[in-house]
Amino acid sequence: MSSPLVRRCWALLAGAWFALAGVPAVAVRDEPPASDLPPPSKIRDLDYGDVLFHFFQDDYFEALVRLEVSHEMGRMPDHAAEAELLAGGLYLSLGLHGEATRRFEAVLAGPVPQSVSDRAHFYLARIGFQRGYLEDAARSLGRIRGPLPGALEPERRLLAANVLMAQGRYGEAAQSLEGWTDGSDWTYYARFNLGVALVRTGETTRGRQLLESVGTMPVGNEEQRALRDRANLALGFALLQERQPDPAAAALARVRLDGPFTNRALLGLGWAEADAARPERALVPWLELRERPVLEAAVQESLLAVPYAYAQLAANGQAAEQYRHAVSAFAAETARLDESIAAIRGGGFLDAVLSAATASEAKPDDADRAGWLWQLQQAPDAPHTRYLYQLFASHAFQEGLRNYRDLRLMQRNLERWAGSLEAFHEMVAARELETARRTPRKAELLAGTDLDSLEARRAGLEARVAELVAARDVTALATPEEAARWRKLEELEVRTAALPPGTRRDALAERVRLLHGTLAWQLDADYKLRLSRLRASLAEADEALAEARRRRALVEQAGDLAPRNTEGFAERVRGIERRMERLQPAIDAAAAAQERLLADIAVRELEAQKARLASYATQAQFALAALYDGASAGGAR
Amino acid sequence: MTHPGSRDDSRAARGQLRRLACAGAFLIAGSVLLVGRAGATGTAPEARTVDEDVQALKKELVDLNRDLFRLEEELLYPASTQVAVFLSVNLGTFFALDSVKLELDGKEVANYLYTEREVEALHRGGVQKLYLGNLKAGEHELVAVFIGKGPHERDYRRGTTVRFEKAVGAKYVELRITDREASLQPEFAVRQWE
Repeated sequence: MSSPLVRRCWALLAGAWFALAGVPAVAVRDEPPASDLPPPSKIRDLDYGDVLFHFFQDDYFEALVRLEVSHEMGRMPDHAAEAELLAGGLYLSLGLHGEATRRFEAVLAGPVPQSVSDRAHFYLARIGFQRGYLEDAARSLGRIRGPLPGALEPERRLLAANVLMAQGRYGEAAQSLEGWTDGSDWTYYARFNLGVALVRTGETTRGRQLLESVGTMPVGNEEQRALRDRANLALGFALLQERQPDPAAAALARVRLDGPFTNRALLGLGWAEADAARPERALVPWLELRERPVLEAAVQESLLAVPYAYAQLAANGQAAEQYRHAVSAFAAETARLDESIAAIRGGGFLDAVLSAATASEAKPDDADRAGWLWQLQQAPDAPHTRYLYQLFASHAFQEGLRNYRDLRLMQRNLERWAGSLEAFHEMVAARELETARRTPRKAELLAGTDLDSLEARRAGLEARVAELVAARDVTALATPEEAARWRKLEELEVRTAALPPGTRRDALAERVRLLHGTLAWQLDADYKLRLSRLRASLAEADEALAEARRRRALVEQAGDLAPRNTEGFAERVRGIERRMERLQPAIDAAAAAQERLLADIAVRELEAQKARLASYATQAQFALAALYDGASAGGAR
Repeated sequence: MTHPGSRDDSRAARGQLRRLACAGAFLIAGSVLLVGRAGATGTAPEARTVDEDVQALKKELVDLNRDLFRLEEELLYPASTQVAVFLSVNLGTFFALDSVKLELDGKEVANYLYTEREVEALHRGGVQKLYLGNLKAGEHELVAVFIGKGPHERDYRRGTTVRFEKAVGAKYVELRITDREASLQPEFAVRQWE
């Protein structure tokens, strides 16, 4: 194994673990904090529940807007701290790290329970880690006092270890992950990371054991399968680096045939066989790989590896043919790269990317959601999108593409509101008309309602009741019939008294007195009940009067406020219109800047790929020349 | 080489992405080595500037949406006449919700057919604002008809009627689907909020 290709391969493998120290985290924007939200029965403000209804459907933008409205209108008093945490998470999902940080810090500024402050510190630590502010992340993690709820606790442990590893403190990271076996998926991630960390620090045996345990773990879903593949790939290459080809081949053979790591595993498998001096077996994975699309680096390398194996088998004719095939394949791929670079420089790059990505969405109704799942591996083989999956591995590209997409979604959102704004104008105008129509009627109504006089009459009645109570004037509460009878009896008394004295007058007077006494007794007997009814009736009158006064006040107020309110609405509509007019071109400008930036990144990346292809082509040509030299030297002998 | 399994849903994939964000700092040696892509450790200054501009713009757009949303509500549904009907689910194991029909004072105001995603959101604690409208002060009648599958997958249709007094402020009515454990039947409760 002395060809330049092989020497290069082993040199790269030897430095592989250490060269990775500067590799950034996969750029993925976090989901908001769903795992620690209150259970259904604990929702105490309906508007907060309404926010969650949209949030749980991954409609983060709508959830955020509703959250901000309800927050501003004070509709979530019982979930204030939770809502602020959720707002931070939602801003994070939109890529607004600054605003998210501000919200989490706002939570911490108030008197909040430790459970809430712990979560705020955790999210700040996560932002710090993602943005590369490792000291801040470590400080925030250090401020968490208790275990976090649910899945957040294992995530916190993993994050703490990741921060240590990112700081190069592998030993401490390994220590922090020791003995963590809670059976969750996080444990396997922790084992994977610990395995890598240990291999980096030179504890290769333990590191390999951990990677082996992840690489042979039982799997139940795609996430676990991907992690298992990744562990097997890492283990395989670590073993290759240590020149242990057989265990390396065993690990690499466990990688799935159609996963994201398949091509690299096939390439490594071939190298393991080649290192074990079995070039004929190395050809099996390499020939499989060679048939795959040339745009991936592992496939490009296989184009050089296949003739190398033929040369090892002394099949120089086939080796020469395969080197020639490699040279022409590299040239064809270079031409395709040139085509893509020209297309990207020609503009319309990101819209083509977005439409390709949207077309490959699993669920069409996701297309308009900010919580968008990227599925770019199936992007069409067109100049704009051919290398999309490769470009997407770049952190800056991924962030920028998401920004661009968010801006376009928000632009469409503004266009929809623009239609509503016209309706708002019409509504305000209609209100003004209605107010103008109602004003004279209102004035007439108010002028014709003399509540003061009614109040005076009611006061007079109360005074009379007080008088009759003071005098216990039972006749004052008599019915009209009783009052008539009472007056008649009084008249009879007078007339009887005017009669000449005698037995007839005495008999009449006695009868009148008896009737008078009977009526007085009846009135006295009914007095209490009648007085009570009268007072109840007066109380009702009081209520009716108070209601009338309240309604009149409302009418008066409405009369005063209507023009001002209408004008207030009109001003708000105009203000929003001005903001929309300013924001529309600002969105276009930002989107264009984003597109220029991403086009530059893409072109740089594609140019780097071209340079790599040129280097491969040179190696193939050298190898071909060496084969010809050998053949002619052999012929000369 | 092992063979692939079935695809999981998008939620699992998102979970994966989130965890990969943590694990991703330690990408496989071979994968990066052989791809030959040197990952940038930071974002270019130009990218940072554009990113900051875009962040500021997005914040403005969120604020604008908030103001538009509020303006719309205040214009169309002033607090003095506003009535909102919410729907929530607590456990809800005895009833699989398909649709809800709402009548206010004898007039149909909503007939809502639920998607799987919405039902799941309700079960996770979301509360749906099913109807937002205007009513005069005074007494009103709300009839809600819940349609779906009851225990043993049987078609289930249940109506609930509530009479309520609308005062000057906004009125919230919550329709709540719960479980009646004793009879293993769903229960449809109504709660009024001022």
